[in-house]
Amino acid sequence: MSDEAVIWLEGIAKSYPTGFLHRAKRQALEALSLDVRRGEIFGFLGPNGAGKTTTIKILMGLVFPDSGRGRVLGLDLQDPEWKARTGYLPEQPYFYDYLTPLEYLDYAGRLSGVETGRRRELAERLLESVALQDARHVPVRRFSKGMSQRLGLAQALINDPELVILDEPMSGLDPIGRRLVRDVILGLRKQGKTVFFSTHILPDAEALCDRVALLRQGRLVKSGSIEEILGADPGRVEVLVSGATGAVEGVVSSEQMGERTRHVVEQTQLVGILARLESRGARIVAVSPLRQSLEDYFVKEMGPQPHGPWADLG
Amino acid sequence: MGGPGLSRIVAVAANTFRETVRERVLYNLLFFALLMTASSLLLGQLSIRQDEKIVKDLGLASVDIFGTVIALFIGVGLIGKEIERRSLHPLLARPLRRHEFLLGKFVGLGVTLLVNTLLMSLGLFATLLLRYRRADPALLKAVLAIYMSLLLVVAVTLFFSTLATSTLVATLFSLGVVVAGRYSEVIRNMRDVTNVPEWVVTGLYWALPNFHNFDIKTEVVHGDPVALAALGYMAAYLVIYAAILLLLAQIAFSRRDLQ
Repeated sequence: MSDEAVIWLEGIAKSYPTGFLHRAKRQALEALSLDVRRGEIFGFLGPNGAGKTTTIKILMGLVFPDSGRGRVLGLDLQDPEWKARTGYLPEQPYFYDYLTPLEYLDYAGRLSGVETGRRRELAERLLESVALQDARHVPVRRFSKGMSQRLGLAQALINDPELVILDEPMSGLDPIGRRLVRDVILGLRKQGKTVFFSTHILPDAEALCDRVALLRQGRLVKSGSIEEILGADPGRVEVLVSGATGAVEGVVSSEQMGERTRHVVEQTQLVGILARLESRGARIVAVSPLRQSLEDYFVKEMGPQPHGPWADLG
Repeated sequence: MGGPGLSRIVAVAANTFRETVRERVLYNLLFFALLMTASSLLLGQLSIRQDEKIVKDLGLASVDIFGTVIALFIGVGLIGKEIERRSLHPLLARPLRRHEFLLGKFVGLGVTLLVNTLLMSLGLFATLLLRYRRADPALLKAVLAIYMSLLLVVAVTLFFSTLATSTLVATLFSLGVVVAGRYSEVIRNMRDVTNVPEWVVTGLYWALPNFHNFDIKTEVVHGDPVALAALGYMAAYLVIYAAILLLLAQIAFSRRDLQ
């Protein structure tokens, strides 16, 4: 285990009983090992049913692993004391509908051992940061899904945690809500906090994460930095031009993207092709090393699935 | 369990109290209990010289019955709803231990029932004072006995809601045990009238919570003395029985996967 590891899991396995009389078993996780380092934003990626939520629930002590061990913030996984320094947002959170956000945050802070005077101050500040300040006295039963999600984010931060664990924080949010969550996560990194979040929305992960782990059917497929995983193809370059160019000699592939065209060309051919494109009246918008997107990588690595687990891939 | 543990139990209890006093069903039941006590005045006028006893009888019965209904139906939802709606997840992701949560829920509903029982008893005493210009303080002994039985009902509901996978199942089991426990004398007499082996009947009699032990309404209404030792015996029975139930509930709850 590295000294820097804030979360360290080794050989975690979990199966759930299924079927009539619970005699069959469904393997949700198989020998999962993982480490998340201090101060990084770590993305935990995979399609629905890959085991992301099960892993997070094992971390939080909601579900018990069949085997394996772990440490969080230097303490044993089973020791609840590390939870005082951690924040957690569950997937599709539900909060007591008879409470107002201020009352809920006060309760949550109290359970985490935050002092009375500080709780109110923190709660007010957090509600402002998730744009719920005007709804602080409104019972949660009147909240929309997006508002509940934002309250979920606020309660995860009420104890000013060192480590924040978020399960699908962007799911069900509109673009403004997603932006807000992204800003909160980036703000946490600036403060030196560690963020571990699961998502199946790949562009968000690509934009935010220092490192990611890819999970499929309960198994870790790959983990590392975005650069390591996606890599760059040094032999090829992407040229983005505006205006129709038609077929251009020497281009590996072309793709029309609205008003623009994306050409992939060999590095050795670049100068000649740029000249050819300009001679046809095309305006060069960008030239960049070819890097596949996380989404491309996923589809390639995970392969097509008969039941379409990527149907909701955003 | 040190200071922080106690403070977390108090936090859960305070929130449970807040949760239950914001339940509309509580006020509906409280209203009916007070209505029943007040309506006993009308019934009392139908009988000769027995009217005061009828008011006391019906008043205590309504404290008992409505209290039990409140304890049963709010109690069974305390844990079950939290598991089904997953509102428990962000709480257990804090340093809160599962047994602290369970105890907090028990204490919280216990306080709600205390306030509730006191309000219903106040209604009974007010009715007696307004009508007869006197109220027998011995009635308080029956009220205390009822309150202790309500705490036992809460322990039964918490036990079943940590064990059962749905609130409906927990409700059915709790209801069954509470009703059977209220008629435990009938169960004891079953060995004389049925072919059920005696050890089954005796085992059932001892295993079920004996709510009959807490029923001193008739003695109090008829002015028969009730020794303080009898109340002490009830308290001891409550503490032992509830402790066993809560311990079993904790064992079931401590390893339960919350999916």
